Amino acid sequence: MVFLKKASIALVASVALMAGSAMANDKPVVGLIMKSLANEFFRDMLEGTKEHAARRGDYELRAVGMQNETDFQSQINAVENFITQGVDIIVIAPADSRAMVRPLKRAMEAGVVVVNFDVSLDADAKKKQGVDLAFVGPDNRDGARLAGDALAKELGAGAKVVIIEGNPGADNAHERKLGFEDAIKAGGLKLIDSRTAHWETEEANTVFSNMLTAHPDIQGVLAANDSMAIGVVKALESAGRAGDIKVVAFDNIPAVGPMLADGRLLATVDQFGRDMAANSIELGLEVLKGGPQLEGWVKTPLKLVVSDKK
Amino acid sequence: MTATNVKVNGAAKSSRFSFKAIIRDAGIGLALIGLIVIFSLSSEHFLAANNITNILTQITINLILAVGLTFVILIAGIDLSVGSVLAFAAVVAGKAITLPGLGPTEAIMLAVMAALLAGTLCGLLNGLISAYWGLPSFIITLGMLNIARGGALHISEAQTIYSFPEQFNDFGSASIFGIPVVFIVALVLVGIAWFVLHKTVFGRMIYGIGNNEEAVRLAGHPVFWYKVAAFTICGLTAGVAAIVYMARLNISSPIAGIGFELNAIAAVIIGGTSLMGGRGSIQGTLLGAFIIGVLANGLILIGLNDFMRQMITGLVIIVAVVLDHYREKYTKV
Amino acid sequence: MSTTPVHNQDLLESPDEEILRVESLRKHFGGVKALQGVNFSLKRGEVHALVGENGAGKSTLIKILTGVHSMDGGKIFLNGSEYQPENPRQAKAQGMQVVHQEFNLLTHLSVAENICFEAFPKTRLGLLDRNEMNRRARAAMEAIGLSDVNVSDSISQWGIAYRQLVEIARALQSKSQILILDEPTATLTDRETDKLFQIIDTIKKQGVTVVFVSHHLNEVFSICDRVTVFRSGESIITEKIADTTPEKVVSHMVGKHLELEMAHNFEAHELGEIALSADRLRVPQSPHESGVSFELRYGEVLGIAGLVGAGRTELLRSLFGVQQIASGCLLRDQSEVVFKKPRDAIDAGIGFVTEDRKEEGLILDMSIAENSSLASIEQVSSAGLMQIGRENELARKNGEVLKLKYGQLKDNVSSLSGGNQQKVVLAKWIARQPEVLLLDEPTRGVDVGAKAEIYSILRSLAREGKALLVVSSEMPELITLCDRILVLADHQIKGELAPDEFSQERILQLAYKGN
Repeated sequence: MVFLKKASIALVASVALMAGSAMANDKPVVGLIMKSLANEFFRDMLEGTKEHAARRGDYELRAVGMQNETDFQSQINAVENFITQGVDIIVIAPADSRAMVRPLKRAMEAGVVVVNFDVSLDADAKKKQGVDLAFVGPDNRDGARLAGDALAKELGAGAKVVIIEGNPGADNAHERKLGFEDAIKAGGLKLIDSRTAHWETEEANTVFSNMLTAHPDIQGVLAANDSMAIGVVKALESAGRAGDIKVVAFDNIPAVGPMLADGRLLATVDQFGRDMAANSIELGLEVLKGGPQLEGWVKTPLKLVVSDKK
Repeated sequence: MTATNVKVNGAAKSSRFSFKAIIRDAGIGLALIGLIVIFSLSSEHFLAANNITNILTQITINLILAVGLTFVILIAGIDLSVGSVLAFAAVVAGKAITLPGLGPTEAIMLAVMAALLAGTLCGLLNGLISAYWGLPSFIITLGMLNIARGGALHISEAQTIYSFPEQFNDFGSASIFGIPVVFIVALVLVGIAWFVLHKTVFGRMIYGIGNNEEAVRLAGHPVFWYKVAAFTICGLTAGVAAIVYMARLNISSPIAGIGFELNAIAAVIIGGTSLMGGRGSIQGTLLGAFIIGVLANGLILIGLNDFMRQMITGLVIIVAVVLDHYREKYTKV
Repeated sequence: MSTTPVHNQDLLESPDEEILRVESLRKHFGGVKALQGVNFSLKRGEVHALVGENGAGKSTLIKILTGVHSMDGGKIFLNGSEYQPENPRQAKAQGMQVVHQEFNLLTHLSVAENICFEAFPKTRLGLLDRNEMNRRARAAMEAIGLSDVNVSDSISQWGIAYRQLVEIARALQSKSQILILDEPTATLTDRETDKLFQIIDTIKKQGVTVVFVSHHLNEVFSICDRVTVFRSGESIITEKIADTTPEKVVSHMVGKHLELEMAHNFEAHELGEIALSADRLRVPQSPHESGVSFELRYGEVLGIAGLVGAGRTELLRSLFGVQQIASGCLLRDQSEVVFKKPRDAIDAGIGFVTEDRKEEGLILDMSIAENSSLASIEQVSSAGLMQIGRENELARKNGEVLKLKYGQLKDNVSSLSGGNQQKVVLAKWIARQPEVLLLDEPTRGVDVGAKAEIYSILRSLAREGKALLVVSSEMPELITLCDRILVLADHQIKGELAPDEFSQERILQLAYKGN
């Protein structure tokens, strides 16, 4: 989707330009770079961060988002624009854990405080570039494990389960899958199939319907996000098995509220995305004020949300 | 000059082999039968009643989009925006259906009208702009792809819209003798499209424009409006597909339908409609949609992993089109 | 490449002369017998004409010779060895070059690129050698006598006539034993035709055999050495030009005499009111403020003569609303009309038989019936629904009037010969019964028999009181057909001729006045 990419570069550039003209006070400037704003998760996070900025009032927020999850080209441009504008802090959720290392290194060399959140930059790439950068974010693997454990506890050892994966190649999709697998192993569950539905409801519905046909004895489903869990639940309803096959997911978006309420969804994981960027900004501001450099992995909280009907 | 080629039996070139005759007569249907045979031999579940219901449900949206696209491709156009328009229509309808203070029937009626209107409007714009300035529909509808997607995200604030009336969901999951009602809707659309393409002046003009736009124009026909109509029909079917999406999943998602346009185009092309316009049929599109749906279903049933599945789907698209090329060749001479 | 010794009586008698021999060649397409026993031979360095009505088998024979079609029976010997090319490339490799009626040029490339397209010269690095390419192209164009050409120009800037010459230059540039020219003069003006004949003379002297397919017997008689006549898929006779006459050839072609129909109908007839008139009408391409003014009456056949580029087609297109007029006005039945689109002109009772039937006239992939009803769809439909029965009836009726030769009404028009295709274009308009009919090159690529039939149809339309405006590059056609001829040059009317003034010389004098 080269065209999309081009369009989003233009978008990013124009947003950055507009922001650049309003740089008159001496409050520290924070550049926030997110992934796709089409993703509810980031959309919500942006709102939370704006509230945070208004509440504190002691920094200026400039935020940009991409058009899709993997558009690191636009992110690189955004980093470069922020360097040019002389922002004090860059807070970034990298679209590519390797490609973003070099531009961020340039930012650090220019004296910008960089905070990496949501998805960790690749350790190898950091080492090769000589970058020492902390990661602020939840442990997706831990979170997925929480959901998986809840499922294991419900079903008991030996139960047959399937995983609905996120986009192949996406780090959080990978981490969540690993977390699900950890829980499956620990709980003695039996994994009989694992397929991607690209984070998408309709595709999850189709893919899971077909998995259910192939394996009518499925007892549990681990979906890597809530959108896909919705598709899975609808497939179960169509097949008349809504109560008897248990589903766990990740994200805790509003749309799964009713499903949690009546037990069609057993559990999901809230990673407090709304506060994640704001927390990172707080950390960055501390460093800017002369606090100690961030180190290693600053983990942010995760919470298992379990169905009321359990 | 010395070289002279010797070949005694000139008649050997004529196409009398039974293999060729089979291809010629059965065409793309043969590929579908082949897939069905392979899958029913390799998976006990494939021919089970509930799996057939599943397949029919799963091809419905693609089939509906492909019906509209058949019109556009027959006039040598293309519509890349159908997936995004589906999302846009679904979000507009989702907003309508969740308006406070509406009874379930009013809400559903309003949503259906909203989806059809939103889809039709997008199609109309595609048609007006590309026909008025004579611009390639590829680029205009690529623009619409972004506009409709952005519109869907904007209106929904990137949130999944949920809590639709139960009756709407009932329609989405109902079936008659194992045939999903939504699939019957799609079949009715196929029937209407067949009638329009083969029995009406409009259908004649669609084929004529695809073959030789200038000849149709010089015969005094309003080519502009026929083209606009083809795109509008395509937008309308995207609206219908949006309704099916909502009824089936009971949500409206602004990221619905990403990449659907490619599957729908594939169904049309596999069905033997030429991207150059003027040649093709709605029956072919029906078969094309079945091939894609059966393939997606069957490959999961036989337990192929995601990446192999993707490769094989691509391969089958190419093989189907190559077979169709030969069919075309043998029916001509 | 194997060779087979041939034991052939005729060949042994004249071993040096005969280059190609075709024996009892047969070919069928489905149930249609395209060739049913064709025999003929070519001598080295001769110009050999192939004549016959459309559908007589000339095109099929050429397609077999050039490797496009395979034969179903019979034998071909080239230089005494059996010859059966499997594809056009093999045919070319053996020196069989063809210049088709329909052009095969790449319109967005330059002249040089078109000429060298089959084998681009490369530098040692394997890159395109542009200098060498241009040099070869210039040489090729000079070989056919066109030296003032910038070979870097895009073909699209050139008129249709020059494109033909580029095709010939391209064909001759490869090694040629036999050069087949399929209707080479159909699009050429007389001056260009003369140029072509000089070229043919030159290559003939180089020992190349030229096969000349033409519907113009005057050309055949002025340039060819021998002529073979085809009729209904058979070769009827081969004669030396010196031993025959055009009348004899025509009677072989059609099996009947056509002089009556070909002769001009001089019987004076009453003309009606003015049907269509132009007053200082200026097409957008015209540099002249004054535009053109003329009157066309009911019952009249008005001819427009002129060289390629004189603005004839542009004029017709403006009259039909395909393009807007720049200034001046158009009157229909003596009241002013403005045609914004073809529909307006059609609604005013005007029909337009376009110059290029493949591009503008016909929908080749559609059936004869569907094409016949294209301009009168409201007659064969009701409430937007097609009435297939009525459509077939309309096509059948008009097919009969026009003596259309076809297999079935549901056959694609692409299966018809050029003349019959042209009749379908006529049928399309006649179905509407237009009061005024504009015709642009109504018999291009049409054989003598069909031509005569089309003339007689057009004249009977005029007798019925229709007004006809005919643009043609063939002066004999205008002289045969018209009541009056206007000569157009450089978008201006240079003269008007009454029947007693009709002559090719007079038309040419006027036509060249603009240059």
